[in-house]
Amino acid sequence: MGYSYMASDELDAESAEGALEQKVWKEDKKPYRGYVPWLVAVIMIALWWGVTALNLFPPTALPSPGAVVHDFITVATVGYSGEPLLTSTLYSLGRITTGFIAAVVVGVPIGFWMASTDWVFLAIDPLLQFLRPIPPLAYIPVMIVWFGIGETSKVVLIFFCTIPIIIISAMSGVKSVQETRIRVAQCLGANKRQIFRYVIFPSALPEIFTGMRVGIGIAWTCLVAAEMIAASKGLGWMIESAGNELQIGVVFVGIVMIGLLGYGMELIIRSIEHRVTPWKGKA
Amino acid sequence: MISLQNVSKFYPPTQKGGKPVLAVDDFDAQIEAGEFVCIVGPSGCGKTTVLNMVAGFESVSQGDIVVNGVPVRKPGPDRAVVFQQPSLLPWMTVFDNIGFGLTLQEGRKTRSHDKVAKIIEIMGLKGFENHFPYQLSGGMQQRAAIARALITEPQMLLMDEPFGALDAQTRTDMQKFLLTIWDRLRPTVLFITHDVEEAIVLADRVIVMTPRPGRIAQVIDIGLGRPRNWDMVLSPEFLRYKKEVLHILRPPHSQTAG
Ligand SMILES: Nc1ncnc2c1ncn2[C@@H]1O[C@H](COP(=O)(O)OP(=O)(O)OP(=O)(O)O)[C@@H](O)[C@H]1O
Ligand SMILES: [Mg+2]
Repeated sequence: MGYSYMASDELDAESAEGALEQKVWKEDKKPYRGYVPWLVAVIMIALWWGVTALNLFPPTALPSPGAVVHDFITVATVGYSGEPLLTSTLYSLGRITTGFIAAVVVGVPIGFWMASTDWVFLAIDPLLQFLRPIPPLAYIPVMIVWFGIGETSKVVLIFFCTIPIIIISAMSGVKSVQETRIRVAQCLGANKRQIFRYVIFPSALPEIFTGMRVGIGIAWTCLVAAEMIAASKGLGWMIESAGNELQIGVVFVGIVMIGLLGYGMELIIRSIEHRVTPWKGKA
Repeated sequence: MISLQNVSKFYPPTQKGGKPVLAVDDFDAQIEAGEFVCIVGPSGCGKTTVLNMVAGFESVSQGDIVVNGVPVRKPGPDRAVVFQQPSLLPWMTVFDNIGFGLTLQEGRKTRSHDKVAKIIEIMGLKGFENHFPYQLSGGMQQRAAIARALITEPQMLLMDEPFGALDAQTRTDMQKFLLTIWDRLRPTVLFITHDVEEAIVLADRVIVMTPRPGRIAQVIDIGLGRPRNWDMVLSPEFLRYKKEVLHILRPPHSQTAG
């Protein structure tokens, strides 16, 4: 029973199919701008090359692109201090990914909890704001004392530096949920768990993604500090140690690698974001 | 049955040290089970506030609201609401939005596909099942929101200017559809509108409100018979009701106000 008794012809449904055949859909083409990032890269490298070709700085301060490529090939094949570039890259990637994922897995629920319960917010917020301005380098001695000089202390350092932004974005995501949407669920009989699952969580997703994108950048900036803790592998370690030996070309190899990997991770998160929250900015 | 007993609503002051805003003042009305009641009144007079209190979204400052003998404390699935502002969930397709009430009842994604498909067809949304709300026009979004409220066949329907965003033809279609549904299921309907004709066409009784703070100016019984014949909008009786309501909304001596 209910409305289902109604024959569909009682109320005409729109039937635009007939008219559609004669019309042709033309894609609204935006001018192609995909070359812009490449152009910027080319210009930057050309500038770099120009500056070094003119010998404006001594090569020990700014090596030429050619010298960096040469060092790259050496580091990639022979390795730096016996560690091939690939090993260092994989170690760094592993530390960053573990610390970052742990921060997301722990930080998001904490943020949700803080947003939903007053006393939890009051308890955690001061702690969070207190930890936030502390530079990663200052953590090093504490990390060594607490977690030793193995992998744990490095990952924990990245975790601590990344988690505040994740917590804050999850919290503000929950707080930005529109009241009407909660009311929709309530008047259709949703319980607390269902309101969270169908309304609050999806509402918070866009801000969580923004927090993750900021967070992954922060994680990479902590890498050098993390690998100052008695490491013998890793991009941060390579930069730190090559710098001490004035092998500036190797330092540049490390910098470029970190930059490219950070960019790559950002692109990955961005594409997940597009897939998970296609409505973002449209509602 | 919905019983509003001397209900008043204050909103907290907008600035520190300001006076609280009296939005609804001493609203007293009984809506019988199965009755169709419309509230008309000027913008800002407190219509939405009354509906929100009946729905359980807002607390009453004074008085009581009793639904089927139980004082209203919180929202519930017995009172489905169609909101004045767009309210579809942007992360769900049209199909999932409309089936949302069933999904909540069944505890998982709804399996009553036929039910959802049927109402999608009635609402003229066929072919848009897998679209997201931002891909629909405003009027289509509103029709989907109405479908969502109707699909659980609630005992009470609270509708806040549901047809405001629709063109005249679709609006008439929706009015007819709503009356047909109402005739079969007999839900208690509290329907808010700006449109005096719409109120008279639909309602058993029209509650006319004063400008803020919202009070009941008058309650008018509409004796136009059921089912409504759509030609009656030209009848002298209909025009008499219309004049009566307009007269209360815009008293002759204050033409410029409002
Ligand atoms: N959350 C709020 N806080 C403070 N004041 C409010 C709030 N909601 C509404 N008001 C005030 O209460 C009055 C009544 O608002 P309400 O939304 O009920 O009007 P309405 O009759 O539905 O108007 P419209 O026809 O324009 O939708 C308004 O004048 C408004 O200023
Ligand atoms: Mg309103």
